[in-house]
Amino acid sequence: MELLVALGLIAIKVALLIAMLLLLPLPLTWLERKIAGHMQQRMGPMRVGWHGLLQPVADGIKLLTKEDHIPAEADRFLFKLAPILALAPPFVVFVAIPFGETVSVLNAEITLYVSNLNVALLFVFAVIGLEVYGVIFGGWAANSKYAVLGSLRTCAQMISYEIPMGFAVIGVVMLAQSMSLVDIVRAQSDLWNIVYQPIGFFVFFVAGLAEAQRIPFDLAEAEGDLGAGFHTEYSGIRFAFFMVSEYVIVLLVSVLSVILFFGGWNGILIPLPPLLWFALKVAFFIYVFMWFRFTLPRYRYDQLMAIGWKVLLPLSMANIIITGIAFT
Amino acid sequence: MSRVVDRAGTWIGWALFADLASAFTLTFGYMFSKPVTMQYPDKEKWLPYSRYRGHHFLKRDEEGEIKCVACELCARICPCDCIEVVPYEDENGNRHPAKFEIDTARCLFCGLCEDACPADAIALGQQYEFSSFSSRDLVIGRDDLLDKPGKAMTGGGVVAARLNTDEDVLVETSEPHGYNWWRNIRRT
Repeated sequence: MELLVALGLIAIKVALLIAMLLLLPLPLTWLERKIAGHMQQRMGPMRVGWHGLLQPVADGIKLLTKEDHIPAEADRFLFKLAPILALAPPFVVFVAIPFGETVSVLNAEITLYVSNLNVALLFVFAVIGLEVYGVIFGGWAANSKYAVLGSLRTCAQMISYEIPMGFAVIGVVMLAQSMSLVDIVRAQSDLWNIVYQPIGFFVFFVAGLAEAQRIPFDLAEAEGDLGAGFHTEYSGIRFAFFMVSEYVIVLLVSVLSVILFFGGWNGILIPLPPLLWFALKVAFFIYVFMWFRFTLPRYRYDQLMAIGWKVLLPLSMANIIITGIAFT
Repeated sequence: MSRVVDRAGTWIGWALFADLASAFTLTFGYMFSKPVTMQYPDKEKWLPYSRYRGHHFLKRDEEGEIKCVACELCARICPCDCIEVVPYEDENGNRHPAKFEIDTARCLFCGLCEDACPADAIALGQQYEFSSFSSRDLVIGRDDLLDKPGKAMTGGGVVAARLNTDEDVLVETSEPHGYNWWRNIRRT
Protein backbone atom coordinates (compact mmCIF):
# COMPACT_ATOMS: atom_id res chain seq x y z
CA MET A 1 0.00 0.00 0.00
CA GLU A 2 2.73 2.42 1.01
CA LEU A 3 4.66 1.51 -2.11
CA LEU A 4 1.59 2.22 -4.26
CA VAL A 5 1.14 5.65 -2.66
CA ALA A 6 4.78 6.46 -3.22
CA LEU A 7 4.61 5.31 -6.84
CA GLY A 8 1.41 7.27 -7.42
CA LEU A 9 3.01 10.37 -5.96
CA ILE A 10 6.00 10.02 -8.28
CA ALA A 11 3.69 9.48 -11.25
CA ILE A 12 1.75 12.65 -10.39
CA LYS A 13 4.96 14.64 -9.96
CA VAL A 14 6.34 13.40 -13.30
CA ALA A 15 3.07 14.21 -15.07
CA LEU A 16 3.03 17.71 -13.58
CA LEU A 17 6.68 18.21 -14.53
CA ILE A 18 6.13 17.11 -18.13
CA ALA A 19 3.02 19.28 -18.45
CA MET A 20 4.91 22.28 -17.07
CA LEU A 21 7.91 21.76 -19.34
CA LEU A 22 5.76 21.27 -22.43
CA LEU A 23 3.61 24.32 -21.73
CA LEU A 24 6.34 26.68 -20.58
CA PRO A 25 7.77 27.29 -24.09
CA LEU A 26 4.45 28.93 -25.02
CA PRO A 27 4.77 31.93 -22.70
CA LEU A 28 8.54 31.98 -23.29
CA THR A 29 8.20 32.42 -27.06
CA TRP A 30 5.70 35.20 -26.45
CA LEU A 31 8.04 36.82 -23.95
CA GLU A 32 11.02 36.51 -26.29
CA ARG A 33 9.16 38.16 -29.16
CA LYS A 34 7.87 40.92 -26.90
CA ILE A 35 11.34 41.62 -25.51
CA ALA A 36 12.81 41.56 -29.02
CA GLY A 37 10.15 43.98 -30.21
CA HIS A 38 10.52 46.47 -27.39
CA MET A 39 14.31 46.43 -27.58
CA GLN A 40 13.97 47.37 -31.25
CA GLN A 41 11.25 49.97 -30.55
CA ARG A 42 8.59 47.71 -32.01
CA MET A 43 5.62 46.21 -30.23
CA GLY A 44 5.97 42.51 -31.01
CA PRO A 45 2.84 40.42 -31.46
CA MET A 46 -0.28 42.51 -30.86
CA ARG A 47 -3.17 41.07 -32.83
CA VAL A 48 -3.95 37.60 -31.42
CA GLY A 49 -5.48 38.04 -27.99
CA TRP A 50 -4.66 40.80 -25.52
CA HIS A 51 -1.22 42.13 -26.53
CA GLY A 52 -0.69 39.01 -28.62
CA LEU A 53 -0.88 36.64 -25.62
CA LEU A 54 -2.52 33.91 -27.71
CA GLN A 55 0.11 34.18 -30.46
CA PRO A 56 2.08 31.10 -29.27
CA VAL A 57 -1.16 29.07 -29.32
CA ALA A 58 -1.83 30.21 -32.86
CA ASP A 59 1.75 29.35 -33.84
CA GLY A 60 1.41 25.94 -32.21
CA ILE A 61 -1.78 25.18 -34.14
CA LYS A 62 -0.07 26.32 -37.31
CA LEU A 63 2.92 24.02 -36.69
CA LEU A 64 0.62 21.08 -35.91
CA THR A 65 -1.34 21.45 -39.12
CA LYS A 66 1.65 22.05 -41.39
CA GLU A 67 2.97 19.44 -43.75
CA ASP A 68 5.57 17.23 -42.10
CA HIS A 69 8.08 17.19 -44.91
CA ILE A 70 10.97 14.73 -45.16
CA PRO A 71 13.54 15.44 -47.89
CA ALA A 72 13.78 12.78 -50.61
CA GLU A 73 17.45 12.01 -49.97
CA ALA A 74 17.16 12.00 -46.18
CA ASP A 75 17.91 9.09 -43.89
CA ARG A 76 14.31 8.62 -42.84
CA PHE A 77 14.91 6.69 -39.62
CA LEU A 78 17.48 9.11 -38.19
CA PHE A 79 15.45 12.06 -39.45
CA LYS A 80 12.46 10.93 -37.41
CA LEU A 81 14.57 9.93 -34.42
CA ALA A 82 16.52 13.18 -34.08
CA PRO A 83 13.76 15.50 -32.73
CA ILE A 84 12.90 12.94 -30.05
CA LEU A 85 16.57 12.58 -29.11
CA ALA A 86 16.83 16.35 -28.85
CA LEU A 87 13.67 16.63 -26.78
CA ALA A 88 14.10 13.77 -24.30
CA PRO A 89 17.35 14.63 -22.43
CA PRO A 90 16.30 18.11 -21.26
CA PHE A 91 13.11 16.55 -19.87
CA VAL A 92 14.99 13.70 -18.18
CA VAL A 93 17.36 16.13 -16.49
CA PHE A 94 14.48 17.71 -14.57
CA VAL A 95 14.03 14.46 -12.63
CA ALA A 96 17.04 15.47 -10.56
CA ILE A 97 16.22 19.17 -10.25
CA PRO A 98 14.70 20.30 -6.93
CA PHE A 99 12.27 23.21 -6.92
CA GLY A 100 12.10 23.59 -3.14
CA GLU A 101 12.14 21.65 0.11
CA THR A 102 8.65 20.43 1.00
CA VAL A 103 5.07 21.61 0.89
CA SER A 104 2.30 20.14 3.04
CA VAL A 105 -0.77 19.05 1.13
CA LEU A 106 -3.59 17.36 3.10
CA ASN A 107 -1.36 16.98 6.19
CA ALA A 108 1.26 15.13 4.15
CA GLU A 109 4.73 16.51 3.54
CA ILE A 110 5.45 16.37 -0.17
CA THR A 111 8.93 17.03 -1.47
CA LEU A 112 9.24 19.43 -4.39
CA TYR A 113 11.50 17.15 -6.37
CA VAL A 114 11.04 13.81 -8.08
CA SER A 115 14.15 12.33 -6.55
CA ASN A 116 17.03 13.57 -4.43
CA LEU A 117 19.92 11.84 -6.17
CA ASN A 118 23.21 11.92 -4.29
CA VAL A 119 25.01 12.36 -7.63
CA ALA A 120 22.43 14.75 -9.07
CA LEU A 121 24.99 17.15 -10.54
CA LEU A 122 26.82 14.34 -12.31
CA PHE A 123 23.49 12.99 -13.59
CA VAL A 124 22.54 16.42 -14.96
CA PHE A 125 25.79 16.81 -16.86
CA ALA A 126 25.76 13.25 -18.14
CA VAL A 127 22.23 13.47 -19.49
CA ILE A 128 22.52 16.95 -20.95
CA GLY A 129 25.56 15.71 -22.86
CA LEU A 130 23.25 13.33 -24.75
CA GLU A 131 21.31 16.25 -26.17
CA VAL A 132 24.03 16.74 -28.79
CA TYR A 133 22.99 13.47 -30.47
CA GLY A 134 19.65 14.92 -31.53
CA VAL A 135 21.36 17.90 -33.10
CA ILE A 136 24.04 15.84 -34.88
CA PHE A 137 21.59 13.21 -36.17
CA GLY A 138 19.15 15.92 -37.27
CA GLY A 139 21.83 17.70 -39.28
CA TRP A 140 23.30 14.51 -40.73
CA ALA A 141 20.03 12.79 -41.64
CA ALA A 142 18.61 15.78 -43.54
CA ASN A 143 21.30 15.40 -46.23
CA SER A 144 21.58 19.15 -46.67
CA LYS A 145 24.86 21.04 -46.62
CA TYR A 146 23.58 23.73 -44.27
CA ALA A 147 22.27 21.20 -41.81
CA VAL A 148 25.52 19.22 -41.84
CA LEU A 149 27.61 22.36 -41.32
CA GLY A 150 25.34 23.39 -38.45
CA SER A 151 25.55 20.03 -36.74
CA LEU A 152 29.32 19.81 -37.19
CA ARG A 153 29.69 23.18 -35.53
CA THR A 154 27.37 22.11 -32.73
CA CYS A 155 29.32 18.93 -32.16
CA ALA A 156 32.58 20.79 -31.63
CA GLN A 157 30.92 23.54 -29.63
CA MET A 158 29.07 21.25 -27.21
CA ILE A 159 32.14 19.12 -26.55
CA SER A 160 34.37 22.17 -26.03
CA TYR A 161 32.04 23.94 -23.64
CA GLU A 162 30.96 20.95 -21.58
CA ILE A 163 34.48 20.72 -20.15
CA PRO A 164 34.71 24.25 -18.65
CA MET A 165 31.09 23.94 -17.55
CA GLY A 166 31.88 20.75 -15.69
CA PHE A 167 34.99 22.25 -14.10
CA ALA A 168 33.15 25.41 -13.11
CA VAL A 169 30.73 23.55 -10.86
CA ILE A 170 33.49 21.63 -9.07
CA GLY A 171 34.05 24.70 -6.90
CA VAL A 172 30.42 24.54 -5.81
CA VAL A 173 30.73 20.85 -5.02
CA MET A 174 33.86 21.57 -2.93
CA LEU A 175 31.98 24.18 -0.91
CA ALA A 176 28.89 22.05 -0.31
CA GLN A 177 30.84 18.78 0.11
CA SER A 178 28.03 17.10 -1.81
CA MET A 179 26.81 16.55 -5.34
CA SER A 180 23.15 16.48 -4.34
CA LEU A 181 21.45 19.62 -5.57
CA VAL A 182 19.28 19.77 -2.44
CA ASP A 183 22.37 19.71 -0.22
CA ILE A 184 24.05 22.34 -2.41
CA VAL A 185 21.09 24.69 -1.88
CA ARG A 186 21.00 23.94 1.86
CA ALA A 187 24.70 24.81 2.10
CA GLN A 188 23.87 28.26 0.70
CA SER A 189 21.26 29.17 3.31
CA ASP A 190 23.63 31.70 4.95
CA LEU A 191 25.51 33.09 1.96
CA TRP A 192 25.01 32.41 -1.72
CA ASN A 193 27.78 30.73 -3.65
CA ILE A 194 28.10 33.69 -6.03
CA VAL A 195 30.05 35.49 -3.26
CA TYR A 196 32.67 32.73 -3.10
CA GLN A 197 32.49 31.68 -6.75
CA PRO A 198 32.26 34.73 -9.05
CA ILE A 199 34.69 33.19 -11.56
CA GLY A 200 32.90 29.87 -11.37
CA PHE A 201 29.58 31.54 -12.08
CA PHE A 202 31.04 33.52 -14.99
CA VAL A 203 32.47 30.40 -16.61
CA PHE A 204 29.31 28.41 -15.92
CA PHE A 205 27.02 31.04 -17.38
CA VAL A 206 29.07 31.65 -20.53
CA ALA A 207 29.38 27.91 -21.10
CA GLY A 208 25.66 27.59 -20.40
CA LEU A 209 24.95 30.14 -23.11
CA ALA A 210 26.99 28.02 -25.48
CA GLU A 211 25.32 24.78 -24.34
CA ALA A 212 21.88 26.28 -24.91
CA GLN A 213 23.10 27.53 -28.32
CA ARG A 214 21.90 31.02 -27.68
CA ILE A 215 23.40 34.21 -29.05
CA PRO A 216 26.32 35.01 -28.94
CA PHE A 217 27.14 31.29 -29.38
CA ASP A 218 24.30 30.18 -31.66
CA LEU A 219 26.57 29.01 -34.46
CA ALA A 220 24.57 25.81 -34.83
CA GLU A 221 21.60 27.67 -36.23
CA ALA A 222 23.23 30.87 -37.45
CA GLU A 223 20.38 32.29 -39.51
CA GLY A 224 22.65 34.56 -41.47
CA ASP A 225 25.05 31.99 -42.88
CA LEU A 226 23.36 28.58 -42.52
CA GLY A 227 19.68 29.05 -43.21
CA ALA A 228 18.55 27.60 -39.90
CA GLY A 229 21.48 25.33 -39.13
CA PHE A 230 20.76 21.76 -38.11
CA HIS A 231 16.96 22.10 -38.35
CA THR A 232 16.94 23.71 -41.81
CA GLU A 233 15.00 20.81 -43.34
CA TYR A 234 12.57 20.27 -40.47
CA SER A 235 9.00 21.45 -40.59
CA GLY A 236 5.78 21.07 -38.70
CA ILE A 237 5.70 19.24 -35.39
CA ARG A 238 9.29 17.98 -35.64
CA PHE A 239 10.50 21.57 -35.86
CA ALA A 240 8.35 22.36 -32.83
CA PHE A 241 10.16 19.58 -30.93
CA PHE A 242 13.49 21.31 -31.57
CA MET A 243 12.07 24.65 -30.46
CA VAL A 244 10.62 23.17 -27.25
CA SER A 245 13.97 21.51 -26.55
CA GLU A 246 15.77 24.82 -27.00
CA TYR A 247 13.51 26.61 -24.53
CA VAL A 248 13.68 23.77 -22.00
CA ILE A 249 17.49 23.99 -22.12
CA VAL A 250 17.31 27.75 -21.57
CA LEU A 251 15.12 27.01 -18.55
CA LEU A 252 17.52 24.31 -17.39
CA VAL A 253 20.59 26.56 -17.52
CA SER A 254 18.66 29.27 -15.66
CA VAL A 255 17.53 26.80 -13.02
CA LEU A 256 21.04 25.40 -12.61
CA SER A 257 22.51 28.91 -12.27
CA VAL A 258 20.01 29.67 -9.52
CA ILE A 259 20.53 26.38 -7.69
CA LEU A 260 24.32 26.31 -7.91
CA PHE A 261 25.21 29.97 -7.46
CA PHE A 262 22.20 32.05 -6.38
CA GLY A 263 20.95 30.16 -3.36
CA GLY A 264 18.11 28.20 -4.92
CA TRP A 265 14.94 28.87 -2.93
CA ASN A 266 16.75 30.79 -0.15
CA GLY A 267 15.55 34.38 -0.15
CA ILE A 268 17.22 37.53 1.08
CA LEU A 269 15.72 40.59 2.81
CA ILE A 270 12.12 40.10 1.67
CA PRO A 271 10.41 37.05 3.22
CA LEU A 272 8.58 35.42 0.30
CA PRO A 273 7.52 31.79 -0.11
CA PRO A 274 10.61 29.76 -1.14
CA LEU A 275 8.99 28.56 -4.35
CA LEU A 276 8.23 32.15 -5.36
CA TRP A 277 11.80 33.21 -4.66
CA PHE A 278 12.99 30.35 -6.83
CA ALA A 279 10.61 31.26 -9.67
CA LEU A 280 11.61 34.93 -9.52
CA LYS A 281 15.30 34.14 -9.75
CA VAL A 282 14.77 31.73 -12.64
CA ALA A 283 12.61 34.30 -14.44
CA PHE A 284 15.39 36.85 -14.04
CA PHE A 285 17.91 34.51 -15.65
CA ILE A 286 15.56 33.71 -18.51
CA TYR A 287 15.21 37.45 -19.08
CA VAL A 288 19.01 37.78 -19.07
CA PHE A 289 19.20 35.09 -21.75
CA MET A 290 16.80 37.05 -23.96
CA TRP A 291 18.48 40.34 -23.13
CA PHE A 292 21.81 38.87 -24.30
CA ARG A 293 20.20 37.58 -27.46
CA PHE A 294 19.01 40.97 -28.61
CA THR A 295 22.15 42.84 -27.60
CA LEU A 296 25.09 40.83 -28.83
CA PRO A 297 26.21 39.74 -32.29
CA ARG A 298 27.37 36.20 -33.03
CA TYR A 299 30.97 35.07 -32.47
CA ARG A 300 33.05 33.81 -35.33
CA TYR A 301 33.79 30.10 -35.22
CA ASP A 302 37.50 30.40 -34.38
CA GLN A 303 36.68 32.97 -31.70
CA LEU A 304 34.19 30.52 -30.22
CA MET A 305 36.86 27.83 -29.99
CA ALA A 306 39.44 30.29 -28.63
CA ILE A 307 37.08 31.46 -25.87
CA GLY A 308 36.21 27.92 -24.91
CA TRP A 309 39.72 26.48 -24.75
CA LYS A 310 41.96 29.47 -24.05
CA VAL A 311 39.83 31.56 -21.69
CA LEU A 312 37.12 29.51 -20.02
CA LEU A 313 39.11 26.32 -19.44
CA PRO A 314 42.08 28.05 -17.67
CA LEU A 315 39.65 30.23 -15.72
CA SER A 316 37.71 27.24 -14.47
CA MET A 317 40.95 25.46 -13.50
CA ALA A 318 42.12 28.56 -11.64
CA ASN A 319 38.75 28.66 -9.88
CA ILE A 320 39.21 25.10 -8.64
CA ILE A 321 42.71 25.87 -7.35
CA ILE A 322 41.63 29.08 -5.61
CA THR A 323 38.63 27.38 -4.04
CA GLY A 324 40.79 24.49 -2.92
CA ILE A 325 43.39 26.73 -1.28
CA ALA A 326 40.99 29.21 0.30
CA PHE A 327 38.09 27.13 1.56
CA THR A 328 39.34 23.68 2.48
CA MET B 1 51.56 60.30 -18.19
CA SER B 2 48.06 60.79 -19.57
CA ARG B 3 48.75 58.16 -22.20
CA VAL B 4 49.68 55.69 -19.52
CA VAL B 5 46.46 56.51 -17.63
CA ASP B 6 44.44 56.13 -20.83
CA ARG B 7 45.99 52.78 -21.58
CA ALA B 8 45.47 51.61 -18.01
CA GLY B 9 41.85 52.75 -18.24
CA THR B 10 41.40 50.84 -21.47
CA TRP B 11 42.76 47.69 -19.87
CA ILE B 12 40.62 48.09 -16.76
CA GLY B 13 37.57 48.65 -18.94
CA TRP B 14 38.46 45.59 -21.01
CA ALA B 15 38.86 43.44 -17.94
CA LEU B 16 35.56 44.61 -16.43
CA PHE B 17 33.62 44.29 -19.71
CA ALA B 18 32.89 48.02 -19.95
CA ASP B 19 31.87 47.73 -23.60
CA LEU B 20 29.46 44.91 -22.85
CA ALA B 21 27.99 46.87 -19.95
CA SER B 22 27.34 49.91 -22.13
CA ALA B 23 25.69 47.68 -24.76
CA PHE B 24 23.40 46.13 -22.16
CA THR B 25 22.41 49.48 -20.67
CA LEU B 26 21.59 50.71 -24.17
CA THR B 27 19.30 47.80 -25.02
CA PHE B 28 17.74 47.96 -21.55
CA GLY B 29 17.01 51.65 -22.06
CA TYR B 30 15.47 50.95 -25.44
CA MET B 31 13.28 48.30 -23.91
CA PHE B 32 11.42 50.93 -21.89
CA SER B 33 11.24 53.53 -24.66
CA LYS B 34 8.03 54.08 -26.54
CA PRO B 35 7.57 51.89 -29.64
CA VAL B 36 7.38 53.71 -32.96
CA THR B 37 5.00 51.13 -34.44
CA MET B 38 1.94 52.62 -36.13
CA GLN B 39 -0.84 50.10 -35.49
CA TYR B 40 -2.28 50.74 -38.90
CA PRO B 41 -5.49 48.87 -39.51
CA ASP B 42 -6.42 48.31 -35.88
CA LYS B 43 -5.92 51.53 -34.03
CA GLU B 44 -4.11 54.18 -36.05
CA LYS B 45 -3.87 55.48 -39.57
CA TRP B 46 -1.42 57.68 -41.42
CA LEU B 47 -2.63 60.98 -42.86
CA PRO B 48 -0.59 61.77 -45.98
CA TYR B 49 1.10 65.08 -46.58
CA SER B 50 -0.57 67.50 -49.02
CA ARG B 51 2.15 66.76 -51.57
CA TYR B 52 1.35 63.04 -51.41
CA ARG B 53 0.53 61.40 -54.75
CA GLY B 54 -2.32 59.00 -54.15
CA HIS B 55 -5.43 58.16 -56.16
CA HIS B 56 -6.29 60.56 -59.00
CA PHE B 57 -9.31 62.84 -58.83
CA LEU B 58 -11.01 65.20 -61.34
CA LYS B 59 -11.95 68.72 -60.29
CA ARG B 60 -15.10 70.78 -60.93
CA ASP B 61 -15.23 74.53 -61.52
CA GLU B 62 -17.44 77.04 -59.63
CA GLU B 63 -20.59 76.14 -61.62
CA GLY B 64 -20.09 72.48 -60.83
CA GLU B 65 -19.07 71.73 -64.38
CA ILE B 66 -16.15 69.37 -64.94
CA LYS B 67 -12.95 71.37 -65.45
CA CYS B 68 -11.44 68.93 -67.91
CA VAL B 69 -11.43 70.13 -71.55
CA ALA B 70 -10.47 66.72 -72.97
CA CYS B 71 -7.29 68.00 -74.61
CA GLU B 72 -5.74 64.55 -74.03
CA LEU B 73 -2.40 66.03 -72.95
CA CYS B 74 -2.44 63.84 -69.84
CA ALA B 75 -3.02 60.75 -71.97
CA ARG B 76 -0.18 61.86 -74.26
CA ILE B 77 2.37 62.44 -71.48
CA CYS B 78 1.46 59.39 -69.43
CA PRO B 79 4.57 57.15 -69.42
CA CYS B 80 2.58 53.96 -68.99
CA ASP B 81 -0.28 54.90 -71.27
CA CYS B 82 -2.97 54.28 -68.68
CA ILE B 83 -5.31 57.27 -69.36
CA GLU B 84 -7.98 57.04 -72.02
CA VAL B 85 -9.98 60.20 -72.92
CA VAL B 86 -12.87 60.46 -75.42
CA PRO B 87 -14.04 64.09 -75.98
CA TYR B 88 -17.47 65.45 -76.84
CA GLU B 89 -18.85 68.96 -77.46
CA ASP B 90 -21.85 70.18 -75.44
CA GLU B 91 -24.58 72.58 -76.65
CA ASN B 92 -22.48 75.67 -75.74
CA GLY B 93 -19.59 74.44 -77.85
CA ASN B 94 -17.35 73.48 -74.86
CA ARG B 95 -15.21 70.39 -75.02
CA HIS B 96 -15.60 67.89 -72.18
CA PRO B 97 -14.66 64.25 -71.75
CA ALA B 98 -17.37 61.76 -72.56
CA LYS B 99 -15.12 59.03 -71.25
CA PHE B 100 -12.18 59.49 -68.89
CA GLU B 101 -10.69 56.23 -67.70
CA ILE B 102 -7.56 55.64 -65.64
CA ASP B 103 -6.18 52.13 -65.27
CA THR B 104 -4.72 52.43 -61.76
CA ALA B 105 -3.28 48.93 -62.07
CA ARG B 106 -0.84 50.31 -64.66
CA CYS B 107 -0.42 53.80 -63.24
CA LEU B 108 2.92 54.50 -61.57
CA PHE B 109 1.72 57.65 -59.76
CA CYS B 110 4.39 59.90 -61.26
CA GLY B 111 2.10 62.93 -61.33
CA LEU B 112 3.01 63.99 -64.88
CA CYS B 113 -0.70 64.20 -65.82
CA GLU B 114 -1.15 66.74 -63.05
CA ASP B 115 1.80 68.79 -64.36
CA ALA B 116 0.70 68.61 -67.98
CA CYS B 117 -2.94 69.56 -67.47
CA PRO B 118 -3.58 73.11 -68.87
CA ALA B 119 -6.96 73.40 -67.14
CA ASP B 120 -5.85 72.23 -63.68
CA ALA B 121 -8.47 69.52 -63.87
CA ILE B 122 -6.67 66.36 -62.76
CA ALA B 123 -4.53 65.86 -59.68
CA LEU B 124 -3.30 63.06 -57.45
CA GLY B 125 -5.08 63.10 -54.12
CA GLN B 126 -4.73 61.62 -50.64
CA GLN B 127 -6.48 58.27 -50.99
CA TYR B 128 -4.16 55.29 -50.80
CA GLU B 129 -6.41 52.38 -49.87
CA PHE B 130 -7.82 51.07 -53.14
CA SER B 131 -6.66 47.50 -53.42
CA SER B 132 -8.96 45.10 -55.23
CA PHE B 133 -9.38 41.41 -55.96
CA SER B 134 -9.82 42.06 -59.67
CA SER B 135 -7.64 44.17 -61.95
CA ARG B 136 -10.78 45.14 -63.88
CA ASP B 137 -12.07 46.97 -60.78
CA LEU B 138 -8.95 49.12 -60.86
CA VAL B 139 -10.03 50.88 -64.09
CA ILE B 140 -11.68 54.02 -62.73
CA GLY B 141 -14.21 55.95 -64.80
CA ARG B 142 -15.01 59.69 -65.04
CA ASP B 143 -17.80 59.87 -62.47
CA ASP B 144 -15.86 57.91 -59.87
CA LEU B 145 -12.85 60.15 -60.40
CA LEU B 146 -15.01 63.22 -59.74
CA ASP B 147 -16.04 61.78 -56.36
CA LYS B 148 -12.55 60.85 -55.15
CA PRO B 149 -11.10 62.80 -52.20
CA GLY B 150 -8.82 65.70 -53.05
CA LYS B 151 -5.43 66.71 -51.71
CA ALA B 152 -4.86 66.50 -47.97
CA MET B 153 -5.06 69.91 -46.29
CA THR B 154 -3.14 68.97 -43.15
CA GLY B 155 -1.05 65.91 -43.13
CA GLY B 156 1.88 63.97 -41.86
CA GLY B 157 0.12 62.76 -38.74
CA VAL B 158 -1.13 59.58 -37.15
CA VAL B 159 -4.80 59.59 -36.24
CA ALA B 160 -6.93 57.17 -34.29
CA ALA B 161 -8.74 54.75 -36.56
CA ARG B 162 -10.86 51.64 -36.41
CA LEU B 163 -10.92 48.61 -38.69
CA ASN B 164 -14.43 47.98 -39.97
CA THR B 165 -15.00 44.69 -41.76
CA ASP B 166 -18.80 44.56 -41.50
CA GLU B 167 -19.51 44.63 -45.23
CA ASP B 168 -16.49 46.21 -46.87
CA VAL B 169 -13.02 46.50 -45.40
CA LEU B 170 -12.70 50.07 -44.22
CA VAL B 171 -10.32 51.89 -41.92
CA GLU B 172 -12.41 54.62 -40.37
CA THR B 173 -10.76 57.67 -38.90
CA SER B 174 -12.45 59.73 -36.25
CA GLU B 175 -10.35 62.86 -35.88
CA PRO B 176 -8.99 65.34 -38.42
CA HIS B 177 -5.56 65.90 -36.84
CA GLY B 178 -3.22 63.39 -35.33
CA TYR B 179 0.07 63.36 -33.53
CA ASN B 180 3.35 63.71 -35.32
CA TRP B 181 4.82 60.25 -35.79
CA TRP B 182 8.37 61.54 -35.52
CA ARG B 183 7.90 62.52 -31.87
CA ASN B 184 8.59 58.93 -30.76
CA ILE B 185 11.88 58.63 -32.62
CA ARG B 186 14.71 58.33 -30.12
CA ARG B 187 17.79 60.28 -31.00
CA THR B 188 20.91 59.45 -29.06
